[in-house]
Amino acid sequence: MRKSRFPALLTLGVIAFLFAPLVVLVVNSFNASRFGGEWDGFTWGWYEKLWAADEVWESLAITLKIAVSASLASMLLGTLAAYALHRFRSGLQSAHSMLITLPLVMPDILMGMSLLALFVLTGVETGLLTIWIAHVTFCLSFVTMVVLGRLQDFDFTLIDAARDLGATRVQAVKKVLLPLLLPGVLAGGLLAFTLSIDDYVITFFVSGPGTTTLPLRVASMMRTSRSLPVINALSTLLIASTFLLAALSFRLQRPLRSGNAGL
Amino acid sequence: MSDFLVIDHVSKSFGSLRAVDDVSLSVSQGEAFSLLGPSGCGKTTLLRMLAGFERPDSGRILLGGQDLTALPPEQRPVNTVFQNYALFPHLNVWENIAFGLRMSRRPREEIRSGVDRMLELVRLSEHARKRPSQLSGGQRQRVAIARALVNRPQVLLLDEPLAALDLKLRQHMLLELNAIHEQVGTTFIYVTHDQGEAMSLSDRIAVMNAGKVEQIDAPEALYESPRSSFVATFIGDANFFTGTAVELQHEGYVRVMIEGLGSPLVISNGAVSFNQTLRLMVRPEKISLTLKRPPSGERVNAFPGVVEDIAYFGPHTRYRIRAGEHRVMAQLQRSRFSGGVIEPARGTEVWMSFHPDEGRVVMLEGGA
Amino acid sequence: MISRSPSSKQWLLTLPSLAWLGVFFVIPAILIVVTAFRPADLHGGVGAGWTIENIEALRDPAWLPIVWRTVALSAATTLICLALALPMAFHMARVGPRQRQILLLLVVIPFLSNFLIRIFAWKSLLHPEGPLTKLLVNLRLVPEDALLLNNVGAVLLVMIYTQLPFAILPLYAAAEKFDFSLLDAARDLGAGPWRSFSKVFVPGVRRGLISAAVMVFVCSLGQYVIPQMVGGASDEMIGSKIAQRVFADRNLPQASALAAALMLAVLVPMFVVAAWQRFGRKEAAS
Repeated sequence: MRKSRFPALLTLGVIAFLFAPLVVLVVNSFNASRFGGEWDGFTWGWYEKLWAADEVWESLAITLKIAVSASLASMLLGTLAAYALHRFRSGLQSAHSMLITLPLVMPDILMGMSLLALFVLTGVETGLLTIWIAHVTFCLSFVTMVVLGRLQDFDFTLIDAARDLGATRVQAVKKVLLPLLLPGVLAGGLLAFTLSIDDYVITFFVSGPGTTTLPLRVASMMRTSRSLPVINALSTLLIASTFLLAALSFRLQRPLRSGNAGL
Repeated sequence: MSDFLVIDHVSKSFGSLRAVDDVSLSVSQGEAFSLLGPSGCGKTTLLRMLAGFERPDSGRILLGGQDLTALPPEQRPVNTVFQNYALFPHLNVWENIAFGLRMSRRPREEIRSGVDRMLELVRLSEHARKRPSQLSGGQRQRVAIARALVNRPQVLLLDEPLAALDLKLRQHMLLELNAIHEQVGTTFIYVTHDQGEAMSLSDRIAVMNAGKVEQIDAPEALYESPRSSFVATFIGDANFFTGTAVELQHEGYVRVMIEGLGSPLVISNGAVSFNQTLRLMVRPEKISLTLKRPPSGERVNAFPGVVEDIAYFGPHTRYRIRAGEHRVMAQLQRSRFSGGVIEPARGTEVWMSFHPDEGRVVMLEGGA
Repeated sequence: MISRSPSSKQWLLTLPSLAWLGVFFVIPAILIVVTAFRPADLHGGVGAGWTIENIEALRDPAWLPIVWRTVALSAATTLICLALALPMAFHMARVGPRQRQILLLLVVIPFLSNFLIRIFAWKSLLHPEGPLTKLLVNLRLVPEDALLLNNVGAVLLVMIYTQLPFAILPLYAAAEKFDFSLLDAARDLGAGPWRSFSKVFVPGVRRGLISAAVMVFVCSLGQYVIPQMVGGASDEMIGSKIAQRVFADRNLPQASALAAALMLAVLVPMFVVAAWQRFGRKEAAS
């Protein structure tokens, strides 16, 4: 039976489609021409301009600050949530599960708008705090899903074995569960970090003066056509770092071979 | 001590399912004991209650006189070799074995000598720094055994120890387990559904069915004198005949009329009374086949039949023979030196015979 | 585990995430609905009292083309994404683990790079002076002065581009669990490759298909950056209108009314699907 070649060809085509614009961006970041249409010679010029653009680096600092703190918070909340969802089956958990899933499918604009409404109506000034809160809110669900996936693969007879050998419940969690869960938690945190750095719409709604994150900076740069090619350079750098982070997260999510029989 | 481990009227239910139903048994110190039965018979639940992962609804579990029933697993002097081994993947072999000793905060020297001693016992000393994922199935099991034994438990529980191994490895581990048991002397309790495993490993076996213990005996006694049809079929194969006791003879022999079989059979069994209905069991290998009718006598059980089916097994051959309404299974060992052994083809008329002592009563009705 | 009243341990573990989402997700959502019924005050905030003028404003027929455009674009995006993602998931689930990992990585990486940058990339790509236009003109596929940008086509293209991974990933997850020997059985019984695909594989990944469809559709409904950046003035979607109301018009209540309507449009298909799945499960169990 001959298998049709169509799916394979289509897959390659789609992947090419997904990468094409990015490739053009990267190429153009070295293109001396202002418009991507022609190649005017290789140059580092746009990168030099980027280096000199202080406001970009300030935004990067703000973005990183938020991303790190939001990731840590969502790692904590997400791991607790995943454990509760995995360990217990009850009406509470069904509601909990639904609540965790909703942010995953809610359009950004609704999340952004609703949070803005909350802050406006409670008189909280938009700024770093509000952005942090918003980021934790949408990252939580992602971390939960990642950690939940690891928990479902986790062999709980290991906990029985630890107790059989003399460990109390707490010791078993400390010495067996947490070490084995850590890669999953980190992978979730890394995902949260990436999502936080990348977020535009929600941040747009809940940011204030003086808290221009990197995506917001890029958006304003896009509006002033003078800086367009610099965005190419910035984009290339961002793509490269995303690539690295993604590879790291992927390695951390590799299923642990437990070396145990049967299952 | 013959009452070293005592299970005293223990029951456990899960919802409406009675997993363990009023089970009582006692195990001697140093004994190799098996809980044997099909899946769902309650043996695993009983094991978990011994380890401390389940609490009995009623009854007690005593070890060396001490009541363990309410103790959590980490406080019991009992260790388990889990069916899937449950080796900690983030620790190497050495650390895995040392785990229990670390939990009880033994001094460092003691831990070191204990682990090294165990590694030697299971012959894994060169693999001490490896991770479980780098070991073969048989090696992982030995680590699991070492990890449990190093804590010098008073009882070692082994859950389906040979289930995950392939045939050759299984045969090898059987010998190893017996050797380890001999060397260490700890009370071993096996849980298994494989009767061959139980018979090779145990001093005594408790056969379980639907939450109850059917019979506790040494392997040979279980095989030769099963007390119920369940035990008779679970351990080995059996031929069953239903009949009525028509004549009580001296020396404890009884003449039984079997429905559907022309001539009556004689079996030896003291507990039968006149006119009692009974169920009789004969093992296939106890049945001899001859082409001619064997010389008749008072104590010879012989009846004719026709060979229906033949299954060749290598060391022996199984015959399915039709006698009246009965289908009888006979098993013949093949050997060049057993003169007079026949190999009948399908459709051949043969005579089956067995010695009265080989007929066992497994069930009595109307009286017993 | 038999369900009893939740233990205090369960509450302790559940409370942090539950409380956080309750305060920062549920309450804001409720606030939106509430704000929709309030009048706007002059400073761009929310006034006192109640009014249904915002809801009434939604009945203005001028909304119709925008709603229609949003729904149509979202539906088109969903259909095209699914049509592309299905064969991809099919292929990815069947190749060896190494190839599969690589393909997965390749699909996910562009997705993880900055959202704006991806749109920007298309903006430069489709620019009249950009490489693609030049290429197509040289190939005589389009006239000299063709504008690939600032039209509905560009919006659709970029929406598909950004939503594709949302379609591929759940479908791939479902395809991984699919028993491919079923296809062999179908072929053995005489079905050709297309028929075994459409009649055995597609129903087999039904669950993933529905997740993907819901995710893509719902995400598309709320888009506003894409139409703003690569669409023309007449290509507005509901999302752009909400943003406009919030930032340009500074009319929170009207924006809330719109947002509430959008929320409804998003939640309804989700609950329908969830109920249908639950119902299907009950049927299968009985």
